[in-house]
Amino acid sequence: MEKRSEKKTEKALGKVIVVTSGKGGVGKTTTAAAFAAGLALRGHKTVVIDFDVGLRNLDLVMGCERRVVFDFINVINGDANLQQALIRDKRIDKLYVFPTSQTRDKEALKREGVDKVIGELRKEFDYIVCDSPAGIEHGALTALYHADSAVIVTNPEVSSVRDSDRIIGILAAKSRRAEKREKPVEEHLLLTRYSPERVQKGEMLSVDDVKEILSVPLLGIIPESMTVLKASNTGTPVILDAASPAGRAYDDAVARFLGEQREMRFAMPARRSLLRGWFGRAAT
Amino acid sequence: MSLFEFFFPKKKAPHASIAKERLQIVLAHERASRDSPDFLPRLQKELFGVVAKYVAVRDDMISVSMRRAASATVLEINVEMPAPVKTMSARPVPA
Amino acid sequence: MTTTVASRMQGGIFTLMVVKIGDPYDPALEREIAEQVGQSRDFFANAPVVLDLKDSLGCTSVGDFTSLKQLFRRYRLMVVGVQQASAPQLRAAQAVDLPAFPGGSGPRRITSEREREKERSRQRLITEPVRSGTQIYAKGGDLVVIAPVSPGAELIADGHIHVYGALRGRAIAGASGDGDARIFAQRFAAELVSIAGRYLVNEAIAPEFLDQAAQVALIDDRLSIMPGWSKG
Repeated sequence: MEKRSEKKTEKALGKVIVVTSGKGGVGKTTTAAAFAAGLALRGHKTVVIDFDVGLRNLDLVMGCERRVVFDFINVINGDANLQQALIRDKRIDKLYVFPTSQTRDKEALKREGVDKVIGELRKEFDYIVCDSPAGIEHGALTALYHADSAVIVTNPEVSSVRDSDRIIGILAAKSRRAEKREKPVEEHLLLTRYSPERVQKGEMLSVDDVKEILSVPLLGIIPESMTVLKASNTGTPVILDAASPAGRAYDDAVARFLGEQREMRFAMPARRSLLRGWFGRAAT
Repeated sequence: MSLFEFFFPKKKAPHASIAKERLQIVLAHERASRDSPDFLPRLQKELFGVVAKYVAVRDDMISVSMRRAASATVLEINVEMPAPVKTMSARPVPA
Repeated sequence: MTTTVASRMQGGIFTLMVVKIGDPYDPALEREIAEQVGQSRDFFANAPVVLDLKDSLGCTSVGDFTSLKQLFRRYRLMVVGVQQASAPQLRAAQAVDLPAFPGGSGPRRITSEREREKERSRQRLITEPVRSGTQIYAKGGDLVVIAPVSPGAELIADGHIHVYGALRGRAIAGASGDGDARIFAQRFAAELVSIAGRYLVNEAIAPEFLDQAAQVALIDDRLSIMPGWSKG
């Protein structure tokens, strides 16, 4: 007789996703904000954590900079508990923001403290998105340590590709999964600031070029867009902007992450109207 | 193409392909050195110290590298011996 | 011919060699003197020397100065005084007829209570912009800032906080529990204000008080924002 009265399995622990790049300024925080928002919109309880101690930006991009009381470092040091520090997003029900300190630096990220916080967060959330600082030092290493998945944000540009390669190597060597010889961190390539027109002209590395060089599965292509500036200016994750191509692209990326099949839009230039062609290149 | 472009063709700059080549080369180097274990430079230095006790070598005469062959990983140590020197017969040393 | 005091006593200006002393018994000192003198023996013959004691923890006994005088004498240099001496160093120097010379560069070590108090009051008046990530704590008193305070900066005081400029960061007054402490800002846009542990974030502050002169006080155990400089 099969065991019908089995105890219901405990809720699965939350998954940690690190958004990293090596190179600075490629779109990590924009991506972390949009990705976390996308996951929460689909019904998954999500928290997005700022690991850039001393140079915090996540609160600004998420639009909650006027509501920060306690931060990640306060919780690590025991000055406050998790509930006091987490900021619930006003627009998306299942989205929470965990800001970091602006007055401390990355040395304040003590290993045991971070381990404990991540452990607690795993019990409460479905997804824990870690917004990593740039670089390969303590801050970036701490952000990627607990990752189950990694979104490697890359611009189609030589320095960014080289730095992404470096961070991929570090993920494979210095993550907890690597140390404990568990199943390796799931790697996902996210190409940002993509301009299909420039690729067509041979001025920019193409998706295929970057895929070939980095050999990491492609999660999405985010087109260059002025709406990203608007998003950070207004403190609204770009995925919430219905008119934004970047927003649509992030939505596709989240869907793919969750297992859906989505066509890779934004890889090819938009078709030019006949009229435009006649009078010369219109301003894009 | 507008009339303007027809009379003054812009020089197209296909520099993406240059970028790709440069990246492939630089990453090939970086990955190779990334895979080699940390201890090789230290090992080379220590080996030099030991060998130099017995043979008059300069530090550029010793090289250590690690290669992945088909079935095994090989640690290769090369020591260049100094040119033979004519030795004078040793004077007996008082016991 | 009569001489008056005025003509007998005059001011004089001299250029003297100054030698920095760390540990008076450091062998490196003698080596360096020897080297310097060796390079131009005649120039330094019987030259007067002033000892700079700013970086010295020693030189507090008569014996130290006697030893130093003898050391320099060996190289035909004469120690004629000291500069930047602390009180105990000066006492010992004067006991062997070495006077204090004025001058010397660099910040003085704080030794007296009065100097300590001056240093503290310097910390309580800020005249440069307070940048994001900076934390300033005025212990035991008020904090006065006559410059803008950036978002991400933290002002902390046991007493009041006055900002004669734009306050865009955090202001934490009455940090040790004094509920009478207040926060004043010429242009109030603080991220967070706190008095004796109670706090309010920017979002919870009524917009009519933002971006103008305002005051924050703890009244009946609740934080109140008031316009300008009202008594409250």
